[in-house]
Amino acid sequence: MADRTLPIPGSLDATRLRDAALLEWLHSWVVTVDHKKLGILYVLYAVFFLLVAGTEAMCIRIQLVVPNNHFLSPELFNEFFTMHGTTMVFLVGMTIIFGIGNYLVPLMIGARDMAFPRLNAFSFWLSASGGLFLYFSFIGGFGLYGMGSAPDITWWAYAPLTEKPFTPGHNTDYWALSLIVMGFGTLGAAINTIATAFSMRCKGMTLMRMPLFVWLMVVTSGLTLITITPLTAAQIMLVIDRYLGAHFFDAQAGGAPIVWMHFFWIFGHPEVYVLILPAFGIASEVIPVFSRKAIFGYPAMVAASVGIAFVSTTVWAHHMFTVGMTSVGNTFFVLSTMMVGIPTGIKIFNWIATMWGGKIRFATPMLFCTAFLFQFLCAGLTGIMLGVAPWNWQLHNSYFVIAHFHYTLTGSFLFCIFAAFYYWYPKVTGRMLSEKLGKWHFWLFFIGFHLTFDTMHFVGMLGMPRSIYTYEADRGWSTLNFWISMGGLIQAIAVLIFAWNLIRSYLDGKEAGNDPWDAWTLEWSVPSPPPAYNFADDPVVRSRRPLWDLKHPDDPDWKYEQ
Amino acid sequence: MAETIDRETEHAQDRRIQLPAPTAWPIVLAFGCTLAAAGLVTSAGFSILGGVLMFAGCVGWIRQVLPHEQHEAVPVTARAVTIASRRALVERIRLGPEHRAHFPVETYPVTSGIKGGIAGGFAMIVPALTYGLIKQHSIWYPVNLLGGAGVAVWTNSTPAQIATFHWTWLLIAILIHSVTCVLIGLLYGAMLPMLPRHPVVLGGILAPVLWTGILHSFMGVINPILADHIDWGWFLVSQVVYGVTAGIVVSRQERIPTSQSLPFIERLGIEAPGLMDSRPDAGPPRNKEER
Ligand SMILES: [Cu+2]
Repeated sequence: MADRTLPIPGSLDATRLRDAALLEWLHSWVVTVDHKKLGILYVLYAVFFLLVAGTEAMCIRIQLVVPNNHFLSPELFNEFFTMHGTTMVFLVGMTIIFGIGNYLVPLMIGARDMAFPRLNAFSFWLSASGGLFLYFSFIGGFGLYGMGSAPDITWWAYAPLTEKPFTPGHNTDYWALSLIVMGFGTLGAAINTIATAFSMRCKGMTLMRMPLFVWLMVVTSGLTLITITPLTAAQIMLVIDRYLGAHFFDAQAGGAPIVWMHFFWIFGHPEVYVLILPAFGIASEVIPVFSRKAIFGYPAMVAASVGIAFVSTTVWAHHMFTVGMTSVGNTFFVLSTMMVGIPTGIKIFNWIATMWGGKIRFATPMLFCTAFLFQFLCAGLTGIMLGVAPWNWQLHNSYFVIAHFHYTLTGSFLFCIFAAFYYWYPKVTGRMLSEKLGKWHFWLFFIGFHLTFDTMHFVGMLGMPRSIYTYEADRGWSTLNFWISMGGLIQAIAVLIFAWNLIRSYLDGKEAGNDPWDAWTLEWSVPSPPPAYNFADDPVVRSRRPLWDLKHPDDPDWKYEQ
Repeated sequence: MAETIDRETEHAQDRRIQLPAPTAWPIVLAFGCTLAAAGLVTSAGFSILGGVLMFAGCVGWIRQVLPHEQHEAVPVTARAVTIASRRALVERIRLGPEHRAHFPVETYPVTSGIKGGIAGGFAMIVPALTYGLIKQHSIWYPVNLLGGAGVAVWTNSTPAQIATFHWTWLLIAILIHSVTCVLIGLLYGAMLPMLPRHPVVLGGILAPVLWTGILHSFMGVINPILADHIDWGWFLVSQVVYGVTAGIVVSRQERIPTSQSLPFIERLGIEAPGLMDSRPDAGPPRNKEER
C-alpha cells in the first residue's frame, strides 16, 4: 500500500526528513486519481467500517445473550441495530465492491486507469465523507435521549416513524442526508465503471472476452443506477417532509407511508443483487483458477447475470406481503420472486460444472468460494420460502428473515469478499497472505457463521421478532440466543485473525511475484504491486484467458473459443 | 514450456507514460458537498462553508481540465515479470456415453407393486408361523405379537399368554398385516422406476434390510413392550421372504413404456396431431402397429 521509501530512523536530521516524507506520502494519497490507490482507499475504508459495524453487532448479541438483559439501553440498542444495518450495506458493502472493482476493472481489461479518474476520486471522497458524516451523529448532538443523534429508525426507515412528530430529533436527518451524499458517490462510481468497461478495453478484448468479474461489475453498476436513484428521490422527499412541512409520507395529511415502502424496496431488493453480483464475479474468477479449468458456460453466465439484474427489479414488493396488497399483486410478486431461481440456478450449476473433473486445490480463496456455493444455495432456498406469500405472513419480521438475509450477505457476499482478499492481496501488496492464518480464519468464521445463522432460523420459527430489545425467559428462546451470540463471538475472533493477517503479511509475508496462483487474467501479467501506469505496453488479447495462451502456446484458448 | 518475458525491460530506456495529474479539487468538492448537507443538522455556517468549498472545488476542477487536461509523466521502471506455468500438461475431458444420464424406457406399473405386496404378505406368513412353532411352540405367538401391538390393553403379558389363541388379536393382526403389506407394496411399486434393472435384488433384499434396520432402531421408542419380544433375526427373514416374493411377482409383470419413449414434443405436453393418439371419443383411433 505505502511505497517503502521512508528514510531510516536515526540517520542525520531524520525526524524532520521523516515528517516531511510522511506528509508527502499522506498528500499523495489525498490528491491521487490513480484507480489502484483509490481502490485501496475504498477497501481500507470498508474494512474499518466492517470492524465498526461488527462491533455493533457484537453489542447487539451481548444484549440478547440472556433474557431481560440491560447491557445496552433500549435507545442505544435501536441506534446500534440501525447503524449496524446501514453501515454494513452502505459503508461496507457498497464501498468494498466499488473498491475491488476500481482496482481490478482497468487491470483486467488492459487499461491504464478508469475512464474518468477525477470523477473516481470525487466519488470516493463523497462516499468517505458521507460515511464520516453518518458517524458524526454519535457525537454531533445530545439528541432526544442524550445518546447522541445516531439514526434509530431501522435501516429501512419506514414512514411514518421517520416523520417529524415521531422522531423529533435529528436522528432521521443524519440518516437521510448522509445517505444522499453517499448515494451520489455511488452513482459516480457506477457511471465510471460502465464507461471504463465499455470504452477502455485493450485490443482484442471484445465484450464476450471480458473477465466475468468485469461483466458483473458492469451489471452491478447498471443496477446501481436503477436503484440508488429512487432511494435518493425518496430520501429527498423525506427531507422535504421534515424540513419544509410537506406530506409525502404523512397519512393524516393525505400522504402515503406505503409510497416510502415501494420506493425503499425498489431500491432495497436490487441492492442485494448490487452486492451479490460482484461476489458472483469473484467466485467466477477464483473457482476456475483453483479448479484448473476454464469457466463452464461463459455466455450462459453473462446472460444469467443480466437476467438476474432484470428480474431483480420486478420483485421488490415481496418485502411487503404483510402490508395487504391485492391478491393479484401478491401473486405477481410471488411468481416474479420464483423467477430469480432460474438464472441463479444456472450460475450455481455452472460453477459446479467448472469444478467437476478439475484439479481442485483448496487454498484459502477456494475454501471461501466453496462454502459460498453451499451457503448461497441455502440462502436461495429460504428466500424462495419467504417469497411464498402465506409463509411470509407467518415469518415476516421474525429472526427467520434475519437468518435468511445474513445467509445472503454474510454467507455469500462476505465469504466471496474474503476470497477476493486472499486471492488479490498478493497483487495489491506484492506479498502473500499467510495461508495458515487464512485457514484459521476460514474455519473459525465458517463454524461461527453456521452456529449463529443456522440457529437463527429456528429462533425465528419459534416466533422471535426482529429488532426487539430483550425478551422474557419463558419464551423458549434463551438457549438458542445464547448459541447465536457464541457463534458471533467465534466470527469476531475469526475477523480479528483476518485483520491481523492483513497487517502481518504486509510487513513480512512471503514475496508473491507477479503470478502466484498460475492464473489467466491480465492483472497477473504485471508486477505486484502494479506500476502507476499498469501496462508499459498495451496488451493484446485473443481469448478469455490471455495468460493461458502465453503459457500454453501449443494449446491456446483462441483455437477453441468462438 | 516455461518462458520468461521481459517485455518491460526492452522498452525501459527513458520512457515516460502520461497519466492524469493528481489533484486535490475532487476531495475539496466532495467535502464541500458533505458540509453543505451537514449544515442542515448542525448550523447554517457549515452549509455556507460547504457552499464556498463547492464553488472553489468546481473552479479548481475546471481549471484542471480546461483548456488542457493536466498530465504528469511517469517514468517506466524496468521490472521483470514471469508468465509461465509449472503445469505443462493439458488434459481435456473426453465426453463419452457414460456421461449421459440414463432414463428407463420401460418400467413396471405401480399396480404390479400392489400385487407383489399381496403375494409377499401371504408368503411372509410361512416363516412367521415357522418361527412361532420352532421357537415358541405355538403358531399364535407371532400373530398375537402383531395383533397385541395394536391394542392398548396388552401390558405385562407373559410368553404363555402371548402363545394362546385370541380371536380379537387374530382379527387385528390380519387387519394390520394386510394393510401394511398393501401399503408397502404400493411404496415398492412407486419406487420401481428408480430401480429398473434389478427389482428382485434391490427391492426384495435391500429394502427389507433397510426397513428392518429402521424398525429396529425405532421400535424401542414406538412400542417398547413389542420391542422386548421381537426376535430380530426371524423378523428379518420374514421381511426378506416378503421382499423376494414381491420382487418375483413384480418381475413377472408386463413392463409399460415410460414417458422417455415418447417424442419430445409429446413429453412437453404439446398437442401434436399425427404424433399422438387421438382421444377415443374424438374419432377413429390410430393403428397401434403404426407406432
Ligand atoms: Cu427482496
